[in-house]
Amino acid sequence: MTSSWVRISLIIICLSLLSGCWNSNELDELGIAVSVAIDKNDEGDYLVAVQVINPSEIATDAPTNRPPVSTYSTTGETLLDAFRRLSAKSPRQIYFSQMRLVIIGSKLAEEGVMPSLDFLYRDHEFRTSFYVAVAKNAPAEVMLSIVTPYEKIPANKIMNSIDNVQKNWGVSKGVSIDKLIADVRDKGKSPVLPGIDLLGDPEVGNNMSNVENVDAPTKLEVDHLAAFKEDRLVGWLSEMESQGLNYATGDVRSTIVTHPCDDEGTISVEILRTQSSMKSKMDGSTPEVTIMVEAEGNVAEVDCKIDLGSPESIQEVNKEVEKQIEKTIQSSVTAAQEELESDFLGLGSAVHRDNPTYWKSVEDEWDQQFTELDVSIEVKAKIRRKGNSTQPINKEG
Amino acid sequence: MDNQTISPRQFMFLVILFTIGSSILIIPTPLALEARQDAWLSVIVAILVGLLLSLFYSKVGKEAEGKTFVQAAQYAFGPWIGRVLNLFYLMFLYILSALVLRNIGDFMTTQIIPETPLQFTHILFLLVIIAGAYLGIEAMGRSAEIFIPWMVLLLIFMVISVAPQINMEHLKPHFENGIWPPIKASGIVIGTPYLEMITLLMIYPYVKEGIKKTHGWMLGSVIGGLALLLITLISLLVLGADLTGLNAYPTYKVGEKINIAGFLEGLEIIIAIIWMITIFFKLIILVYSTTVGVAQFLNMDDHRPLLLPLGMGTVVLSIIAYPDVAYFETFVGETWSAYALTHGLLLPLVLLVGLLVRKKFSKRKQT
Repeated sequence: MTSSWVRISLIIICLSLLSGCWNSNELDELGIAVSVAIDKNDEGDYLVAVQVINPSEIATDAPTNRPPVSTYSTTGETLLDAFRRLSAKSPRQIYFSQMRLVIIGSKLAEEGVMPSLDFLYRDHEFRTSFYVAVAKNAPAEVMLSIVTPYEKIPANKIMNSIDNVQKNWGVSKGVSIDKLIADVRDKGKSPVLPGIDLLGDPEVGNNMSNVENVDAPTKLEVDHLAAFKEDRLVGWLSEMESQGLNYATGDVRSTIVTHPCDDEGTISVEILRTQSSMKSKMDGSTPEVTIMVEAEGNVAEVDCKIDLGSPESIQEVNKEVEKQIEKTIQSSVTAAQEELESDFLGLGSAVHRDNPTYWKSVEDEWDQQFTELDVSIEVKAKIRRKGNSTQPINKEG
Repeated sequence: MDNQTISPRQFMFLVILFTIGSSILIIPTPLALEARQDAWLSVIVAILVGLLLSLFYSKVGKEAEGKTFVQAAQYAFGPWIGRVLNLFYLMFLYILSALVLRNIGDFMTTQIIPETPLQFTHILFLLVIIAGAYLGIEAMGRSAEIFIPWMVLLLIFMVISVAPQINMEHLKPHFENGIWPPIKASGIVIGTPYLEMITLLMIYPYVKEGIKKTHGWMLGSVIGGLALLLITLISLLVLGADLTGLNAYPTYKVGEKINIAGFLEGLEIIIAIIWMITIFFKLIILVYSTTVGVAQFLNMDDHRPLLLPLGMGTVVLSIIAYPDVAYFETFVGETWSAYALTHGLLLPLVLLVGLLVRKKFSKRKQT
């Protein structure tokens, strides 16, 4: 009899302990942030804008004319200060675990991003899987207030675009925050970040009417890569330089290589996969870094009268593709060594990996040392197939 | 205490869980700070030392002839000197259990529930532990058998799902600063968990007889060590030595990076589950051993009445043990090795000598 009383009272105690959670947050009390823009204003304060999704618009069969996301912005002495000040404007507590993207304003990027990264990496609410990007031609907070067509959540649109560009074209790439921090801290490597462009009038883009057009007048576009030196933005890479960097680091998955063929016209090759490695070898007292790239692809678009039936002409195309890729990588190396003097290719890391003793002696002055570094590029292209047609269609059989 | 026994197999599982518990949480960061990308070597060195240690502890256990550490010390040195030794031994166990409890509490309040006061996490966690220790060693052994497959499955799942993000270049250059720093850093792993295995001398007598006992201990410490090696390697390969050293809980960060086909994300809680399971077992072994030890120290027949009062003390001690995490980091880095070395190596050595002398003495008497 007594034991059953003990049991019942134990159950009651357990129930009272397990009934709630100290940290409970109900879903309808949270504002789910998908994107954050960070910049500095002229007084040196942080300028923060947060894009919060509007759940009733996202998950509904009968959408109203309210926007799917809302933005709140504020300023603060530090990032956390600014984030907490948002609570005065936002009706709900802002929850960051689902965040996809951080957009850094160009002013902050030029000043140095490291101070603002600490909070984003330290706080437990932030995952490390979000991308960081730089706002190229408009203030970062304006980028967040553009309503995008097709994809309701603008942050998802940008993230998907970055992924798509990386997968299908290779002129930009997504950089997650831990990769960024690791690159800034690595003496032999400088980070790059994708850029974001605003096309059109931001005033129009801020309005729902923007997406009522078939061709939305205001759009967001993924731009090429921004090169950093340590944690400061030093310049923008061109399309070719960005692609060259991606080839060198093995981040190109699929892209198109076009080159002139014969006398007139062009031939395009679709690269399907690439593999790259960076090796350093001591050549006397100085190291030499070799970038090796292997690309495999198909003939994809032919606008000339080449005979695709003969192995020789495929070999010819192979050579042309190799030359083209080599040129692309070379442009990136030149940009790194001569124009921007920032080792965003990670040549120093290659030296560090393969010649640690030499690296120790130059580690601290690598910034100056690496501009003199010998870099050689070896590209191997393998064309396997040529699609549905055996010959160019404008060739007379 | 109450004639319960566990099989050598169950004992091996307990050793595995004891080795992984809490070390999995706290060793990757200091290892990566000291040995950089060669941290994996430190773990291998530590596994070898751990193997020797488990051999040594089994030897002590065997010489004790079915007595726990506390009983053996009182037998070998007499009730007074033996009790002085036991005082040190039990204090080591008690402090260790408070620290292990604080580890999981710190982790929970840092990563998962920052607004919940530490003591409530501790009390809830310890209540389950006390309930387990109340049921005795048999229940512990059986539940270890139940939980081990889950832990292995989760570990394998985690490794497979982060495998695409592994970058072998993170391990280069090998032995950048020579072979000495990684060997020196292995002290961290030897201190936590291998020297702490002395705790197991309290449950060793309850393992059924047979040579398999020693094998179980050795195999368990190696398997546990391999799990630690795996965790350290994964942290290094995915994050790199620099970020591993920068993160308080690098393996948790690795879990955050799991991304399967774009929709299976946010699986870091899997890591937390592995930690919970292993730390649960480490703590239950510690609490059980301490309580049984104190009961034998006081010549009590039953350890159960002591569980609750000692548990309350553990909660208090775990809160006041260190004021902040920075203190703990320094403590683990600088003080713990020496503390664990005196209590994990010197103390059993003294006991072994005492037991051998006593054995010779009583043999001579007989003849």
